[in-house]
Amino acid sequence: MSAYEISLLSVIGLNVILAVSLNMISGFCGQISLGHGAFYGTGAYAAALTMIATRNFPLSLVCATTVGALAGIVVGFASLRVRSDFLAVTTIGVNFLFTGFVRKQGWLGGEMGISGIPASGLGGNGNMVMILLFAVATIALSLYINRSWMGFAFRAVSEDENAAATLGINAGAYKLAAFGIGTALAGLAGGLYAFFTQFITVDTFDFIFSVLLMAMVVIGGIGSTFGVVVAAIALTLLPEAIRVVNDYRLLVFGGLLVLVIRLAPGGLAGLARRLTVRAAKP
Amino acid sequence: MYYIDLAVTGLSFGCMYAMMAVGLTLVYGLLRILHVAHAAVFALGAYLTVIVANATGSIGLGFLVAIAVTPLFGMAIYRLLYEPLLGYRPDVPMIASVGLLVLMQDAFRIAFGEQGVTFKNNIYAFRIYDVAGIRVNAVQVAIVICAIVVFVGLHLFTTRTRIGIAWRATVSRPKIAASFGVDAIKVRYLNFAIGSALAALAGGLVGLLNNLVDPVIGYVVSYKALAIIVLGGLGSVRGTLIASLVLGMVEAYGTIFIGSWLNRDGIAFLALIALLMIRPQGFTGARAA
Amino acid sequence: MTAVLQLEDLAVHFGGVNAVDGVTVSIAAGEFVGLIGPNGAGKTTLMRIVSGSVRPDRGRVVLAGNDVTGISTASRVRKGLALTHQIVRPFREMTVLDNIVLAAGYRRTANPLRAALSVGRKRECERAAEILLRVGLAGTADKLSGSLPLGQMKRLEVARALALDPQIVLFDEPLAGLNQTEAARMVETIADVNAQGITVVLVEHNLEEVMRSCRRLIVLNDGRVIGDGAPQAVMADAIVREAYVGSGTASHARH
Repeated sequence: MSAYEISLLSVIGLNVILAVSLNMISGFCGQISLGHGAFYGTGAYAAALTMIATRNFPLSLVCATTVGALAGIVVGFASLRVRSDFLAVTTIGVNFLFTGFVRKQGWLGGEMGISGIPASGLGGNGNMVMILLFAVATIALSLYINRSWMGFAFRAVSEDENAAATLGINAGAYKLAAFGIGTALAGLAGGLYAFFTQFITVDTFDFIFSVLLMAMVVIGGIGSTFGVVVAAIALTLLPEAIRVVNDYRLLVFGGLLVLVIRLAPGGLAGLARRLTVRAAKP
Repeated sequence: MYYIDLAVTGLSFGCMYAMMAVGLTLVYGLLRILHVAHAAVFALGAYLTVIVANATGSIGLGFLVAIAVTPLFGMAIYRLLYEPLLGYRPDVPMIASVGLLVLMQDAFRIAFGEQGVTFKNNIYAFRIYDVAGIRVNAVQVAIVICAIVVFVGLHLFTTRTRIGIAWRATVSRPKIAASFGVDAIKVRYLNFAIGSALAALAGGLVGLLNNLVDPVIGYVVSYKALAIIVLGGLGSVRGTLIASLVLGMVEAYGTIFIGSWLNRDGIAFLALIALLMIRPQGFTGARAA
Repeated sequence: MTAVLQLEDLAVHFGGVNAVDGVTVSIAAGEFVGLIGPNGAGKTTLMRIVSGSVRPDRGRVVLAGNDVTGISTASRVRKGLALTHQIVRPFREMTVLDNIVLAAGYRRTANPLRAALSVGRKRECERAAEILLRVGLAGTADKLSGSLPLGQMKRLEVARALALDPQIVLFDEPLAGLNQTEAARMVETIADVNAQGITVVLVEHNLEEVMRSCRRLIVLNDGRVIGDGAPQAVMADAIVREAYVGSGTASHARH
């Protein structure tokens, strides 16, 4: 396998983890988050700093996941205060707070980022395999949650919090759980990313990237694990396969996001459902 | 005298923010939609101004074209994007709006270059008046004068003309206005048209002031506009004006103090988040929660 | 016998008006209580205080011996309260059966951790199917609840309330929007709930049906209780009649 292919598969794996975890927060539980990049970044920086300080690879990943989860729960509290579109604005704000803060902090590398992160010891191939294994695990977790009573409660909270309350469901607790789980996974992805590149800068985790992740979720079909996986893979490969798209990435992704919301709000999953229903009719 | 210079800077930026944010607060007041793509309208106005000015040699013509054309763009956004999405939860049109903003800003980058466009013959940005020891830039003066004209004009329009009164009624009391026979659809188009025209004016003036229009010009203002309309009370024009001036002043004086551990965007958003958490319903107006 | 629901001197004011002005009521287990009053009497506000959407300025709400005045709606539901809404709110994206199953699974959804560890639904599905038949929704199990006609949606609200194994159910204007036949059948369903030993509080405008079904009638006016007792006796009371006639229904009758 060439270095390019290893790199590409690694990025696909990371994007799958990010998109599927965002889908848990915004799709399953209906809490729109346009700041997922900040949790990705938080994990990356936590892993980098831990690795530099302790040279302990597993510990760095654990740290990344934990810090991601804690940050997510803190932000999750915002979802208890404001309604959906203002929650979205708050999450945009969180993203900018993150990047704005990091840019100004010398100990976090500022504008230059953190370079020379010690290797994980697994090698390029090993890193890729690890990323892909975590991606599969994330997909499995997502499917499990959807089938469980937690997923059931998430759907209720997503549709109508007050009605959920009359069924004894504590919406606030479930929202925090959604944020915590989703951002923990984003943090983990960040940790994996830090070892993948061994060099991180804050630009990778900006608001634009968060919008791209949301585009993957919306285009895949908000709420559908498989739809989101397909969209994540497709939207990662698209700029690679078609050079033109690479230069016009934001144009294309922004355009797709708008088109999908406007014309096919159910995303790819919704379209697939409609096709199978039509095929099933005698 | 330095502090008075800062006050002038703060005032002129505040006036510019006000003209831009008015459109945003009006759309929210009318449709309860966060029209994030308004920043793309602002950017379009800036680009049109500089492109036409460079092509024709007349800055005035640049402004005229920008103010005439952007309302069409704004109204198109309403008709093509928001109107079909009115029945959905509020975050759906908002995410679409964000997508549109990202799309437009990239389109500007592709069309006009990453470095942006400068005015070929910008005499105003460098014309400085000395008023009683205070150094004032011609464009800053223009911004303040424009803002005064605009807001006085808006006030007269919404209190003296039939259409204006109907508009104001629909924004504050949609159901009552409808029962009086006010055509809600026409009011919506008017809303987007006027908001967009003002944003275009603000965009052109900012471009003139900095002598540069670049692809990120929209982003920078969009965040601040969001903070402004929440602070001023969603849907309130007067609140927006006050909040804009406050932000302009705080920015001018504030970066002296806070700039060390958080950059400007971060500061704006920190303020916005704090506002939303303290009073989700804003400080004078409609609800965010 | 401890009261299932005890309201102690509840009061709240909005915008200069005392919407609820010192209401004290004690409801025993198994009762079938009707709560009526002219428009603006404070019935809805009182119910919202009991359900937890409105916080009172003073007074307590005691549910089966527990002071629930400060706790959330979801917590009150877990302590034995169930309610149906005047404007029905089923989960439209879910099937009728799933709506009831979710309610039946209230033990599973007690907190996110327990919910995450629970996957099986057999028991809840069976229970939900029973309740479905009991409230007269046979055959609708797999329909999307958003597609039901109003009468059936109201039955779904009752089904969800039953699935919670409540001690007391508050019905907020369940007959609104129903024609006479539907209303009579709905009252039968509600009476059946009471027959199962569950305390029922019925807030209604439809006097005829309320009179026929309730065994105790509480009348509210201007935020205060002006009548409380056997339905016939209460309605014969002069003060109560004054409240209904004088409150604008037929002001020309005064001349």
